[in-house]
Amino acid sequence: MKQFGKILKFELKYYFKNKVFVGVTIFLVLLISVLMFLPRIVDVFSGNESKDTVAEEGGESPVLLVKAASPEEAETVKGLFETAFSGYDVQITEDSEWDIQEEILSESAECAFVFKNLTSYTYYVDNLSMYDSNTDIADSVLQNLYRMNKMIESGMSEEQAGEIIAVQIENNSVSLGKDQMQNYWYTYIMIFALYMVILLYGQMIATNVATEKSSRAMELLITSAKPVSMMFGKVIASCLAGFVQLIAVFGSAILFYTINKEQWADNMIVQSIFDMPVSLLAYMLIFFVLGFFIYAFLYGAIGSTASKLEDINTSVMPITMLFIIAFMVVMFSLASGNVDNALMKVCSYVPFTSSMAMFTRIAMSTVPWYEILISVAILIGSVAGIGVISAKIYRVGVLLYGTTPKIGSILKAVWRA
Amino acid sequence: MILELRNIEKSFGSKQVLTGVSFKAEGGKAFGLLGRNGAGKTTSIRILMNVFPADSGEVFIDGKPVDYSRVQIGYLPEERGLYPKKIIADQLAYFAELKGMSHKAAVKSVDGWLERLGMAEYRNKRLDTLSKGNQQKIQLVTALAHNPDIIILDEPFSGLDPVNAMLLKDVVKEQIAENKVVLFSSHQMSYIEEFCDSIAILNSGRVVLSGELHDIKRSYVRDRLIVRTEYPQKMKNDFGAECTELDNGSLLIRLASADEKQGMMKRLVDNYDIDEVKVFEPSLNDIFVEYAGGGAEKEDRQ
Repeated sequence: MKQFGKILKFELKYYFKNKVFVGVTIFLVLLISVLMFLPRIVDVFSGNESKDTVAEEGGESPVLLVKAASPEEAETVKGLFETAFSGYDVQITEDSEWDIQEEILSESAECAFVFKNLTSYTYYVDNLSMYDSNTDIADSVLQNLYRMNKMIESGMSEEQAGEIIAVQIENNSVSLGKDQMQNYWYTYIMIFALYMVILLYGQMIATNVATEKSSRAMELLITSAKPVSMMFGKVIASCLAGFVQLIAVFGSAILFYTINKEQWADNMIVQSIFDMPVSLLAYMLIFFVLGFFIYAFLYGAIGSTASKLEDINTSVMPITMLFIIAFMVVMFSLASGNVDNALMKVCSYVPFTSSMAMFTRIAMSTVPWYEILISVAILIGSVAGIGVISAKIYRVGVLLYGTTPKIGSILKAVWRA
Repeated sequence: MILELRNIEKSFGSKQVLTGVSFKAEGGKAFGLLGRNGAGKTTSIRILMNVFPADSGEVFIDGKPVDYSRVQIGYLPEERGLYPKKIIADQLAYFAELKGMSHKAAVKSVDGWLERLGMAEYRNKRLDTLSKGNQQKIQLVTALAHNPDIIILDEPFSGLDPVNAMLLKDVVKEQIAENKVVLFSSHQMSYIEEFCDSIAILNSGRVVLSGELHDIKRSYVRDRLIVRTEYPQKMKNDFGAECTELDNGSLLIRLASADEKQGMMKRLVDNYDIDEVKVFEPSLNDIFVEYAGGGAEKEDRQ
């Protein structure tokens, strides 16, 4: 235990005296602070102009061209479009379709609606953006127009028809479980942070162990300290270092957000991120630490079997792949919105994936407490098991020089040890 | 203190590395563990240091099974290496602390040793800024700083210039004088011969010879005499085939049996102009080649 404390202290010093580690942390904090102050910075640069953007936009609105079969139709459409597309300067054109295309390509107009009749048109635009909703708006305007005309034709008064068309449905959704819309972004950020930290620190541990081996400092270490103390000392030190880094980044994010809260008031995504419930933060902590340990032990064990630093990248590949697959499963489930699918349920008990999968399920849906408890229990058991096994691999691995041994022969040696 | 290995057996996979290895090293004396590459020296040392357990057999201290929490071992590995990018004093103190010293005591001891070895000026430098010989001296501190009861030195003299070798010899003699068990492993027989009172020679995982170096030398039949004289030609003519000239100019005279030794010495001193006459004893080098020469050299280590 005394030995473990000394190893922990020595390894922690390694991180906090490491220029790269300190540099990256400072860089991340600066980046976060710039991001969080962004609205304020934008305000300063644009000065008071931001307040009369509407007036300014009026002068420079993009041009939307309308070409119809008859001048009457063109006028009707123009009238309706001017209200529907408030940001555009709606203009009627008599040019040929060819000329219209030219105008759009030369950027003198942004887009154009060419009507065959009032229920059929071609929409021209330079680059069709993923978020272009102009055709949706036009469709609903034209549908309303068509319905209105038909209703009037069948003998209704204009008022009656207008009422029918203008009817608004009131809706009010109440989520009894989790609000996925609100939780999506911070779950996403947390899973991503977990992913980055585990990959980065895992590699760091593997490199650290392999460096000791290749510099032969191992010859002394292995005769001075117990492998279990070495392994746990290294892993816990890197976990603490990772933690300090995360706290620095997230802490400064929260701090700077609080300072700039007003500026962010109209950004729903940012607001939802910082309105994260504390209970979820606690879960994050638990799953972060346990998930981190599982992979850190594996990376440490793998590092001990490599003889040269150059071998590290290929040696850690299987673990990295395992981890990336786990990450992908969680990310796809998160994006699909169905986080309680069968695969995710299985993944939330498998120790290699459960830290991410179970956390996502807790954040995005409602998981019964006993499921969480079972998952955490399996994780804790696995951490202890994998910790001891990797310490054994470490003890066998560090004394093996020459070619990187096969997994089978290592396991055999570990079994006998 | 007496350190004793009894009947140690060890195999890695199907390969038997040690077979019934036993030897005994006493405090206040230096012990030489000899053998060619792959004979099992490093494996014996690792078992002795509890890096891995023996398949069977045991390590004893003063007749009782060893308790590693009580006995302190200092080790200078053959494969030298520390943290190249770290401050020397920091890592030396760390290693001493791992062996159970408090931080304060470790720093004090490390500083004392750096001073003793003339390395005090490098204390706050990174290890990789030092020359190879100086790195060797730094490595030596890791074996001594925690004031161990047993000191294991694996090829301690390799890479040292004569001045540093002298310094190391003095340090080792001090440690022996402090009644510590000093265990040498080396191929440089001259050093072993100079320091070690007793030896064990390993060949293919077996102890083929062990005991007091003095006794071992004595055990050879004392039927040869070494003579140093200014006029070797006269003796050569008189003794004929019984007399051969050695590389250093001395003469080696073979006797019919060891019983004739006294009479022959008298005869030589009476009849010839003799500078020196002594009974021929084989050097450690001769003994080593005789006992360790047979085994095939195996470089593979575990």
